[in-house]
Amino acid sequence: MTELSDELLVAYVDGQLARKQTRAVEKVLDQDDILAARVEALKHAHARLEAAFEAVLAGEEAEVSAASATAQEGLVIPWGVARTAFAGLGLVAALALAVAGYGWPLSLPNLLQTAPKAAGWQEETVRAQALLSRDSLEVGLESQANYDLVAFQLAHILGAGLKFPNLDAQGFRFKRAQVLRYGDAPLVQILYLGSKGGPLALYAKRGEGSETLMPGRYGAINTVAWAEDGVSYLLAGDVEDALLMRTATRIKLEPAPPLPTASKPYTPVNDALNQSR
Amino acid sequence: MLPRLKRFADVLVGARDEGMGLLSRALERMLAEQHRYQRGTALDVWAFGEIYGHWLHELGGRADPLAQAKIDDVLFGALFQSEDEGYFDAPVIAFLGGLPPQQRLTLLLVYGEGFEHEDAARVLDVSTDTITTRLVRISAALADRLNNRQPAPAAAIVESLYPEGLSP
Repeated sequence: MTELSDELLVAYVDGQLARKQTRAVEKVLDQDDILAARVEALKHAHARLEAAFEAVLAGEEAEVSAASATAQEGLVIPWGVARTAFAGLGLVAALALAVAGYGWPLSLPNLLQTAPKAAGWQEETVRAQALLSRDSLEVGLESQANYDLVAFQLAHILGAGLKFPNLDAQGFRFKRAQVLRYGDAPLVQILYLGSKGGPLALYAKRGEGSETLMPGRYGAINTVAWAEDGVSYLLAGDVEDALLMRTATRIKLEPAPPLPTASKPYTPVNDALNQSR
Repeated sequence: MLPRLKRFADVLVGARDEGMGLLSRALERMLAEQHRYQRGTALDVWAFGEIYGHWLHELGGRADPLAQAKIDDVLFGALFQSEDEGYFDAPVIAFLGGLPPQQRLTLLLVYGEGFEHEDAARVLDVSTDTITTRLVRISAALADRLNNRQPAPAAAIVESLYPEGLSP
């Protein structure tokens, strides 16, 4: 019988040996039934450990699902989660929700999953779908070329003094905008495109929050979040973080416009009223 | 990821409720000290390390840390009970319950989480060699236990087959 230490055999079972060393061990195992049985015993032990730990995780996941089912009704993406999806330090939002006692948020474990279980395309797509509302489609495409009209429509839908920045100076041209939703609340998305790379998006919804510009990252997407004048903003894009922060600063420094009012159509009465002012 | 963090805390302290408490406190600390997170660090490696560090910190403040680290066998066994499948591997669970917390976590990280030894070492703030040594010792002991065998005497070592860094 050839003697190989458990140290070597465990390294072999765990796949820690180099290919040459693995072949050498396998050669010995082919000729030594006792060592082969030892290897099988180690593999068996590891398999049972994996199964035991898997059972603990199954229990925790069941607990999370139960807590989430009571905490969330329907498939609606909370603003916090949408923000988390774009935020680099997404863990913080997850931790905040957990610590605040809102229960274990259903979507966050998947959003934050790093290795074993990546979300499938269907799940990611449903998340995006959940952000769409009727208003997303009712802002007609023909209006998209009219910057002022889009600004007017979005500000009215949002019901707040929405910043609708012109980012030409930063190298981003306005392309289009639409209204998404968070639950029943509108979530505005304004899209820009630079000379290269993916789109830059400015999201806005009514809400309070820190006025400080908070950088973050989700995958390749850099983000900056802040709130001002009752509107919470998120600037997101596959853009170099320093440029994104400069752009966010530029938007933040821009004074918020007053809520626009629609000019009334021409009628003799309206005309007379305008002239009397 | 949160269920994985909870499992880590549960296996560390040996009970579900205590695990929840530890995780909550560790999360609060992570929130308060989020600036310590370095971009590029795997979130799970960072978070596991924070939970473990917080547990060590709390343990250090106790009058009898060793007694505090001991677990209740019943509560520990309850972690592994699955209502649906009825799977309950009593010998393995009893074996795990008899291990020191750091050794349980070593097994969890490598065989439960599938971590590389380097990442497990980072979480537990030990060297990679320590992780390797623990795995060898515990794996051999468990294999012996499951085969009703006495722990094997140290075998001769075939030095030429050792990969770099694995030599004792």
